[in-house]
Amino acid sequence: MFLPLIAVPLLLAGSALAVFTDEAWNVDYHYALLGHPKQSTSFFHQPNPSSRASLIFTLSEEGVLGAINPRDGAVVWRQVLLPGASAHNASFLRAGEGQDVVISGIGSQVAAWSAGDGRQAWSLDVNGPVEDVEILELVDGKDASGAKDAVALSGGDHPLVQRLDGATGAVKWQHQLGGTDAPYQVSASTTEVFAISLHKTILGYLKLKVTSLDPVTGHKTDEHMLSSENELATAETIVTVGANSASPIIAWTDSAHSVLKVNIMGTKGISSFEIEKHDGQAVERVELHAPYHLNSLSHFLVHYQTATSHWAEVFHVDLKNGKVGKAYSLPKLSGRGAFSTSTSDANVYFTRVTRNEVMTVSSASHGILGRWSVDGFNVAAGEGEEIEPIHAVSDVSVRGDTVSAVRSAVLLSTGDWVLLRDGSPVWDRPEMLASTVSATFASPAEMETLVQQLEAEAHSNPIQAYIHRVSRHLHDLQRLPSFILSLPQKIVQGFLGTSADGGIATDSFGFHQIIACATKDGRLVAVDAGNPDKVLWNQQVADLQPGQIWQPSVSSPRGGVIEISSKASAGVQYNASSGEQLASILPIDLAADQTAQEVKYTMHDGGLEATVDSSTTWHFMPTSGERIVSLVPRPVNDPVASIGKVLGDRRVLYKYLDPNLALLVTANDAARAATFYVLNTVSGAILYSNVHSGVDVSSPIASMLSENWFTYSFTAEALGDSPKGHQLVVGELFESLVANDRGLLSSTANYSSMQTGTEPFTLTKIYQIPEAVSKMAVTRTRQGITSRQLLAVLADSSAVVGIPYGVLDPRRPINRDPSKDEQAEGLVRYSPVIDFDPKWYLNHQREVVGVKDVITSPALLESTSLLFAYGLDIFGTRLSPSFSFDVLGKDFNKFQMLATVAALAVATFVVAPLVMRKQVNSRWQFM
Amino acid sequence: MLSLSHLALLLCANLASAARLTVSIPPSPPLLPNPSTLPPSTHAVLVGPPGVHYDVPIRRDSTFVFPDVAEASYLLTLHSRDYFFPPLRVDVSKAADESQQQTIQAWQTFRGNEWDNKGPHYGSGKGELQLQIQPSGHKEFYQERGGFNIIGFVKSPMILMALVSAVMIFGMPYLMDNMDPETKAEFEEMQKSSPLTGSGGAANQIQNFDLAGWMAGKGTSSGSGASGGGNSKKR
Repeated sequence: MFLPLIAVPLLLAGSALAVFTDEAWNVDYHYALLGHPKQSTSFFHQPNPSSRASLIFTLSEEGVLGAINPRDGAVVWRQVLLPGASAHNASFLRAGEGQDVVISGIGSQVAAWSAGDGRQAWSLDVNGPVEDVEILELVDGKDASGAKDAVALSGGDHPLVQRLDGATGAVKWQHQLGGTDAPYQVSASTTEVFAISLHKTILGYLKLKVTSLDPVTGHKTDEHMLSSENELATAETIVTVGANSASPIIAWTDSAHSVLKVNIMGTKGISSFEIEKHDGQAVERVELHAPYHLNSLSHFLVHYQTATSHWAEVFHVDLKNGKVGKAYSLPKLSGRGAFSTSTSDANVYFTRVTRNEVMTVSSASHGILGRWSVDGFNVAAGEGEEIEPIHAVSDVSVRGDTVSAVRSAVLLSTGDWVLLRDGSPVWDRPEMLASTVSATFASPAEMETLVQQLEAEAHSNPIQAYIHRVSRHLHDLQRLPSFILSLPQKIVQGFLGTSADGGIATDSFGFHQIIACATKDGRLVAVDAGNPDKVLWNQQVADLQPGQIWQPSVSSPRGGVIEISSKASAGVQYNASSGEQLASILPIDLAADQTAQEVKYTMHDGGLEATVDSSTTWHFMPTSGERIVSLVPRPVNDPVASIGKVLGDRRVLYKYLDPNLALLVTANDAARAATFYVLNTVSGAILYSNVHSGVDVSSPIASMLSENWFTYSFTAEALGDSPKGHQLVVGELFESLVANDRGLLSSTANYSSMQTGTEPFTLTKIYQIPEAVSKMAVTRTRQGITSRQLLAVLADSSAVVGIPYGVLDPRRPINRDPSKDEQAEGLVRYSPVIDFDPKWYLNHQREVVGVKDVITSPALLESTSLLFAYGLDIFGTRLSPSFSFDVLGKDFNKFQMLATVAALAVATFVVAPLVMRKQVNSRWQFM
Repeated sequence: MLSLSHLALLLCANLASAARLTVSIPPSPPLLPNPSTLPPSTHAVLVGPPGVHYDVPIRRDSTFVFPDVAEASYLLTLHSRDYFFPPLRVDVSKAADESQQQTIQAWQTFRGNEWDNKGPHYGSGKGELQLQIQPSGHKEFYQERGGFNIIGFVKSPMILMALVSAVMIFGMPYLMDNMDPETKAEFEEMQKSSPLTGSGGAANQIQNFDLAGWMAGKGTSSGSGASGGGNSKKR
């Protein structure tokens, strides 16, 4: 028994805190997400022209380019092209037929990416926002086998059309679009390049200006205006400017969606089609789906959507006389529908996905080539919510005259991206989680019912409580037979170590916590931390207009309940396990209201103002030129097990523990300085402050405060003989630096920060770290006995590291080796550099991209803390900063223990007769 | 994938004489024989003065290209999922006159040391510089559990001691039986006289200690009262 006790501090001192081989990939979970895919930038494409296998490529609303394996939905590769992008950012993704690159355009950059492995082929900055990118599918004859060139249209002050070399990205020619017209799109046919810009008339209407360019030289060959009538009020009613087909077309409608006008690019004639009204409902959306290949038939489909139904019409373009004619129409169906275009040789197929079926038609005739019914999409949705397809991309395999199989990647109204193979869901990517803005842990409602029942028993009179208890136990007895039946299986599984964690109801370790995520598009999504493969529930909680931003905050006011509130609305509560909305009347906790006085903080004129009972108690005004960057309070639930630090010689250093601490960061942009203050949030007193100069205030400054220590990191510029790079500062607050002395507080039993102004003694250490930390958090355990780990998000490495506090400890001795007593405490000699040991990477080989925040929650086990990181990716794991001392982990070898017991038993039985014989013999010999 | 925060202004000023930096990862056999196995998330970051920050992804030929780098002193770091790369200092300095191009120089740098403490020179160039950086180590993410190891188990001193004593207990009688009578007698004599195991030896005394008698205040007896023939047998 003594040996393990000695071993524990020794182990803690070593850097043995790591991800274990048998735990990696098992206890942690990760959704590698892309964000909401866009219809225009998603397609199936063969990354290797010689093989038939294709990948799904997409450039999402979040500005992430990625390739998805259609077989299992796994990310093959991805690149974050524009961090922090939203649906407003125009983005383009094109792939040339038979090309091994995809070309993206976002922000001001056009880049080509190797389709198979995601490495960059070339990139070009076009000096202005990219308005469109197209691939020139020219049949030159000269370089038919080589890389196909791209045409880019850029906006800004000097709109340009540029032809970029497909292999190097070098500009072959550029054409300046003069005038004040807004560049809109670029398109190419076999013989010409068309640049379309929007010309504003005096009356405020738009006219389409088509400029034809010679694809070889870039000289202007023709220019004309379209749409003489006052139809186009905004660019939004332009349905499409078709690209890269045998006959590119422009289509637009009027703002009432009553007439569709189509022009074949390069001609001046406009064909006009009435949009028929169904049931008197207004058409909300008109979409055009056309093939994207030069050698495919020039047919296209127009999709009309009303609030309750949708239908489509297929048109054919007669290339000889330049006429557009309606070929057939697809019948009206209720609900929303998604159409997608696929090609096979010259043939064009349209696939229609509705909530009930998937069907494929040829563009030539309305005969249905394949039809599969959809029995649900197998995704979680809200109560009574109808799951609708939003858009789809399809890959059709054609055998003879029939379609033998169709794969469609469909974005659903729930935010899931699913793949339907012949109508049945194969995989599902919860892309709505990529836009998580706020998240919280909540204990499952099932766990809370027992707590409530016990409370009910405690508060009623003894007889009632007794009856309640007996009835509860009788009720529990009903589960006994099933429990007994499952017992042998449980035992076998326990031996083999294959026991899967039980469900939420049987969770005795508190690993099954529910994580509720509020997403940017107004949904609330719940995931079970103990069983993260499936989304628990997912429902729309806010009705947002397109482009509307909300700032929700999710919290768990009590067990089993999730509360979501935003600036606009008061809190609405939901059942954590089912997602059911609870009564919106909030129970008022009288006891809490009477004792506690709330201090409210508001940002006021760039300063911070604290008010109690509507009277201002204090102001914090940063000095001139400074702005407040962040304010990090001590967590509300931050249990501390010990009020002191025990030294090696059994004396105690008392921690400065105050529940009302906050770390405030201000930055001075002109002086490139950052100031860090530790404030008492009740009295407003500054307990500690420090200024760092030469700070890169534009890069992230992460900060964190817990227990009696704080930490922050920043990027510093080389000044004089100081080093350049990223720095991490740790400070610890003590009541006094003399052991066994509480300083001024020693004589007082209680104290109030309003009356006595005791100042802590602060020890700080500064460390050089290899890369910038974008966010910090700390592990939390139930009682706070377990040592803490600092969690740092490394944006450059796409990682979350857990740094043990022993490494950061400000009491590490400088310029000398630690004394015996300090060694006993686990202190090691100070070195100015902390290299992040790869064993601290909680995500190990996974790449966790775009983490915005990390939340932690204590499990029921004291040793364990749960972690959840969100942003673009979702990552979660369980952490035991002081090892799993209260649970038998995977390192406990049950087989070995049983084998030892068995071996001992065998040895006893074998040796017993031997000993007996020996004893008998020895007596006989002696006598 | 250039992160252009305040870069546009700087770029405009230096557009005429933009410095181009190319960093390549050569095959370095024992550690990284084939750099094309590096994941596409591998990227290089140039951290300049506040607000100047370039970030480029790896290219098909395992290079990183910074097309135009403004005049400043930079910290170059390469981030890869599986490998460590040494940090470099890259200085882009002003040309002597308008017609000439900027000078780019690169050195190794050491974290936690002053910025002027430069390591080996990696190269310099006029207007353009090509660098080669080799990985300095592989990232080992996983900690192996100290599993059960039979050799290690046998090697431990406690087990060794137990084994030796087991050999003594079981092996000695046979050894004694096989001894010729003279040596046996000699050995027995030796055992008798040894202070530990002889009849008057410490071990025997302890073994035959009469606790009850001692507690009753009797003096140390010669051990004749001890019971059990097995204990007092003489060999």
